[in-house]
Amino acid sequence: MSRSVLYSSSPLLASKTPVWRSKFIVAGIALAFAGLAGRAAYIQIFGNEFFQKQGEVRFARTLELPANRGRILDRNGLILASSVPASSIWAIPEDVQASKAQLAELATLLEMPLADLNKKLGDEDKTFVWLKRQVDEPVAQKIHAIGIKGIYQRKEYKRQYPEGETTAHVVGFTNVEDRGQEGIELAFNKDLAGKAGSRRVIKDRLGRVVEDVGEQMPPVEGKDIQLSIDSKVQFFAYQKLRDAVIARKAKAGSVVVLDSTTGEVLALVNYPSYVPDRRKNLTGEQLRNRALTDTFEPGSTMKPITVAMALEAGRIKPQTIIETGPGRYSLGGFTISDTHNYGTLTVEGVIQKSSNVGALKIAQKMSPQEMWETYMALGYGQKPQIQFPGAVTGRVRPWKTWRPVEQATMAYGYGLSASLFQMAHSYTAFAHDGQIIPVTMLKSSEPAVGVQVFSAANAHAVRRMLQMAAAPGGTGPLAQTVGYSVGGKSGTAHKQVGKGYATNKYRAWFTGMAPIEAPRIIVGVMIDEPSDGNYFGGVAAAPVFSEVVQQTLRMMGVQPDMSVKPQITTQAVEESF
Amino acid sequence: MARLNLILLLAVLASALYLVRTQYESRRLYVELEKATAEARKIEMDNERLQVEKRAQATPLKVEKLAKERLQMRTVTPAITQYVTYKDAPAAAAGAASAAEGTKP
Repeated sequence: MSRSVLYSSSPLLASKTPVWRSKFIVAGIALAFAGLAGRAAYIQIFGNEFFQKQGEVRFARTLELPANRGRILDRNGLILASSVPASSIWAIPEDVQASKAQLAELATLLEMPLADLNKKLGDEDKTFVWLKRQVDEPVAQKIHAIGIKGIYQRKEYKRQYPEGETTAHVVGFTNVEDRGQEGIELAFNKDLAGKAGSRRVIKDRLGRVVEDVGEQMPPVEGKDIQLSIDSKVQFFAYQKLRDAVIARKAKAGSVVVLDSTTGEVLALVNYPSYVPDRRKNLTGEQLRNRALTDTFEPGSTMKPITVAMALEAGRIKPQTIIETGPGRYSLGGFTISDTHNYGTLTVEGVIQKSSNVGALKIAQKMSPQEMWETYMALGYGQKPQIQFPGAVTGRVRPWKTWRPVEQATMAYGYGLSASLFQMAHSYTAFAHDGQIIPVTMLKSSEPAVGVQVFSAANAHAVRRMLQMAAAPGGTGPLAQTVGYSVGGKSGTAHKQVGKGYATNKYRAWFTGMAPIEAPRIIVGVMIDEPSDGNYFGGVAAAPVFSEVVQQTLRMMGVQPDMSVKPQITTQAVEESF
Repeated sequence: MARLNLILLLAVLASALYLVRTQYESRRLYVELEKATAEARKIEMDNERLQVEKRAQATPLKVEKLAKERLQMRTVTPAITQYVTYKDAPAAAAGAASAAEGTKP
């Protein structure tokens, strides 16, 4: 106790503290507090933004919310194209640690030789290598199960096309980035793709999302596109076309089926086709959507149009007599001939027997300008107004440059070119009581409103001629169906090779409609280079027309308008070309 | 005065601790929700995938292939017709039957 300092009485401590000292201490402490307050104010108020940002960078993340690509459906809601998850496998070569057995297993799952896999993983300089894009989900799960370090998966989506080659040309396909490349996938890419959204979140140490911050941008999902295509009609058309192309040893073929009241495209098929999921060894031949992108000289399928325009101009009547004898006609150094000398024919007979001389004589009653204007009104020489990539215009030269012989050849379908689609479209003028109606690839239920090109009476007269042409005694009796009355015109065109026409290469056409009194559908068929000897449109293309019409009308629930008779096929009249 | 301050201090402390707990709980639940949403999305995608697969198995092209290859079926045409005759039917019908081109099913 004695050693302790007595603060109160110690004389050493009795020295008087100067007042300024205590004031100085108080001031010093006050200053320190003021400093703290200043700093706090700076952090909380003036520099707040900066600090908030720095903090956020350390725990907040922006996540992308991908938008699902819309589906493509047929008119009955069946799926033609849809996106399914498919992981892409990638690796960091440096980090890969795997036993030989694991690598072998991975190689088999990726369907690539082990050597290729080793080569990919051997490149140590790279920090990122795709091993395979878009593998199927079950395979991806198996790869995950092997558990090799340094192999990662990225979630992606892959388009699936359940209908395969039947709808390949219509639907098209997307690339690995999910962007449309062909067909409807390309034409409606914007609508289908949608727009990705985003959200700002806080992630914890384990990478789990624990909180939403700020505003969210919900993704705009891709719209579903419902087409006018009926997948059943499409399939039948494809099946019949494929069988016919193979049987006729032809190079290719196309079929177009239009609904003649609404203008919807019910089917659009081409052969050869391809499976959209497996596009490795695709050739241009397979990819071509011939019905829309290839133009040809249509041959005799043009004759009904020649007759219709002459009827409309009042130059002829269905019963007007046309002299086609002796089956040849010379004009400007060319000789135009029929296969037979048909002698004296009525206008109806010209269509029924498909007389070239008859058609040119009818055309001579018209002026080039009148013909040209009708061609334009019917959509020739113009791109079809259809939401589809690659549709071509075809060729109709300005009427001022026509020579008389060209005007004559155009009457029976040479010297101008059109796609099968344009051909079928122009026939809507006959089917729809003289109106040419707009066509659409999208489902619509309202009857189309068209532009009057021919009068209803003339359209009806031409329909009667078409019915005669497709009946026994005409050029296309094989177009007859069981139960439904049909009408249509066959065509057999020499193929143009270089500057002239090949003598042994043909293109067989048939364009027609059914039931003939009140047409519901228009079917166009084109077979390219039938080379088994049956190259006439009435023999190569008409049977396809018949089968497609039969199946389609039955499927649409159209009542048969004829009593069912046993099939009797008479000899077709040989056609001029 | 001192007692009131003490009570207020305790109240503030309790409230602060409760806030921490609530925040923790809300984050935990949020993680759960997030997981459930992801699961729902996955199931939705699976549903989509299976629907496409189902459709792919039932397309006319596939059915045709199976019918032709596995069941050896062929396309019918009216040319293949079987005429069934009544026993007591007049002879004309029998004549037609014999003329008809028929195959056994």
